[in-house]
Amino acid sequence: MNYTPLSTISPRSYIRAILAIAKKDWLHFLRYPLEGMFRIIEPVMWLTPIYFLGRSFATSNGATGFAAYVGTVDYMSFVLIGGIISSYVSAVFWGMGFSLKREMDSGVLESNWMAPLPRPLFLIGQTVASISITSVNSVVVLFLAWRIFGFHVTGHLFPALLALAPMLVALYGFGFAFAGLVLLLKDANTMVDVANFMVIGLAGSQFPVQVLPRVLIPVALALPLTYGYDAVRGYLLGTRTLIPIHDELVILLVFMVVMTVAGYAFFRMIERHVKVRGTLGTH
Amino acid sequence: MVEATLVHRSLRSELRAMLAIANKEWIIFRRYPSWFVAFLIWPVLFPLAYIFPARALAGPQGLALATFSRLAGTRDYISFIVIGTTIYMWFNITLWDVGLLLRNEQMRGTLESNWLCPVWRISILLGGSLTKLLTALFFLTATIIECRLLFGIQLLRGNLALLLVSLILLIPCIYGLGIAFGSLVLRFQESNALVLFMRGLVAIFCGMTFPVAVLPHWMQIIAAWLPFTYAMHAIRAVSLSQANLAAVWPDLAHLLVFAIVLPIAGYAAFRFTERQARRTGVLGHY
Repeated sequence: MNYTPLSTISPRSYIRAILAIAKKDWLHFLRYPLEGMFRIIEPVMWLTPIYFLGRSFATSNGATGFAAYVGTVDYMSFVLIGGIISSYVSAVFWGMGFSLKREMDSGVLESNWMAPLPRPLFLIGQTVASISITSVNSVVVLFLAWRIFGFHVTGHLFPALLALAPMLVALYGFGFAFAGLVLLLKDANTMVDVANFMVIGLAGSQFPVQVLPRVLIPVALALPLTYGYDAVRGYLLGTRTLIPIHDELVILLVFMVVMTVAGYAFFRMIERHVKVRGTLGTH
Repeated sequence: MVEATLVHRSLRSELRAMLAIANKEWIIFRRYPSWFVAFLIWPVLFPLAYIFPARALAGPQGLALATFSRLAGTRDYISFIVIGTTIYMWFNITLWDVGLLLRNEQMRGTLESNWLCPVWRISILLGGSLTKLLTALFFLTATIIECRLLFGIQLLRGNLALLLVSLILLIPCIYGLGIAFGSLVLRFQESNALVLFMRGLVAIFCGMTFPVAVLPHWMQIIAAWLPFTYAMHAIRAVSLSQANLAAVWPDLAHLLVFAIVLPIAGYAAFRFTERQARRTGVLGHY
C-alpha cells in the first residue's frame, strides 16, 4: 500500500491536510462539552424573547400586523429560518475571522505557516469544520425549536437549499477576506461583534427589511445577504419576496463569484503584507 | 500625622488597596479604546434587534398594537424595549467584567501572588467592581443621551426620585450577583457557558422585551425570584405610565430585599471559594 506523505505535494495530500485541520477543530469543539452544549442552547435562548415578543403582539388571528408585511402569520418560522442562516453568518465572522487569531494567541500560527501547504488551505480546513459544526448545531436547534415554538414548512425544501448554497460559498469567500483583516488588525473583537450584528440585522434575519427606517433600506437592499434570507423564506414559507425570486438567485450567484475571487485576492494581499513586515506571529 | 500603610492593617489601608486595584482596572480599561467605542455603539444597536421585530409585529399602521398596549400598559414599545435591554446589558457587562475579574487574574497567572497580599481578599473584587461601576454609569448615561438623540425618546420622565431609588436598589443586586458569579466561576471555570446561562435567565424570564404577563404560569414563578423583573417593571411603570410610589411600592419592597440578600450571598460565595481554594490548592489552575 502506498502512503502519500504531506511532503509529496499532490491533490491527495491537500485533502489530507484539510481533513486534518477540520479534525483538529472538531477535537477542540468536543473537548469543551459545556461550551458546545451552549452553542445549541444559546440560539434557543435568543429565540425565546422573540417568541414572547411575538405573543405580546398576537391577535386572535395570529400575527396579523406582521402578515401585512410578508403575507404569512407564521412569525416564528420566519424568525427560525433567519436564525439558522444567521448562525452560518456568525460562524464566518467568529469561526473564520477569528480562526487565525486563535492560532496567533496560542503561538502556533508561525509554525503552521511553515508547513508545505498553500496558506488558503488552512482556512478551507477551518471552513470544513465550521460548516459541519454549524450544520450539526442547526439541525439540533431546529429540532428543539420545532418542539418548543412550532416550526411549519409549507413550501419546497430543495429549491431553498439551492438558494442557500451560493450564499454559503459567498459567505465563506468573505470569511477569507475577514480572516486577512484580523491578521492585519490583531485585536478585532469589537469590530467582529459589531459587524456581525449589523450585517445580520440589516439583512433582515428577524424582521422584514420593509420595517427599517427609509435611510437604512438602501443599505439593506445593497447587501446580497438580504436576498438570501428573502429567497429561502420565499421557497420555504411562501412569503412575498422583495423582488422576483429568480432575480434574487441571480444576485446570489454573482455574489458567490465576486466574493470568492475578491476574498481570496484580499487574503493573499494581506498575507504578503504581514510577511514583509514580519508581524505574522505578533498579537 | 500618622500614615496608614498596607502593613499596618486598618480600614484606611483596605480602602487604599481597593482604590489601587480600582486604578489598575481603570488603566487596563483605558488601554483598549475599542471598549469605549463598544460602550457608545451597543446602547443603540442592541435594542434595535428587538425594536424592528416589534415594529414588524405591530403592522404597517400599528394594527396589532392593541394587544401589546393591554398587556404592557403602554403603546410606546420602543421605550419599553430600551428600558429592558439597558438593564439586561448592564447585567451582561457586569457578568463579563466583575464576574470574570478573578478568572482573568487566574488566566494571567497573577491571582496567587495577589491572594498573598496583606489585604482582605474581597478587596480585590470590590476594588475592581468600583471601576466597573464607574464604566457602567458611563454606559447608562450614554444610553440616555443616545436614545434621546437617535430614537427621540426621553427615558428620564415621570417621578425622577422614584427612578433614582429603583436604580440605586438595583446596584447592590447586580454587583452582589456579579461577585457571587465571579467567585463561583473561579471554582467551576468554563466561564463563557456560565455567563450565557446567567444572562439567558434574565433575557427569558424577566421580560426584557415583552410584558411578563405573556409568560406561562410556571415561568412567572421563576421570574418572581429574579430582581430584574421588579426593576424593569418599576422603571417602566414610573417612566412610561407616570406611576406613583403606591403603584411601584411592591416592586421596590422586593428590590430592597434582594439588595440586602444578594451582596450577602455574593460575600458567602466568595468565602466558600476562598476556603475551597485553600483546601484544594487549585487557585492557580486554569
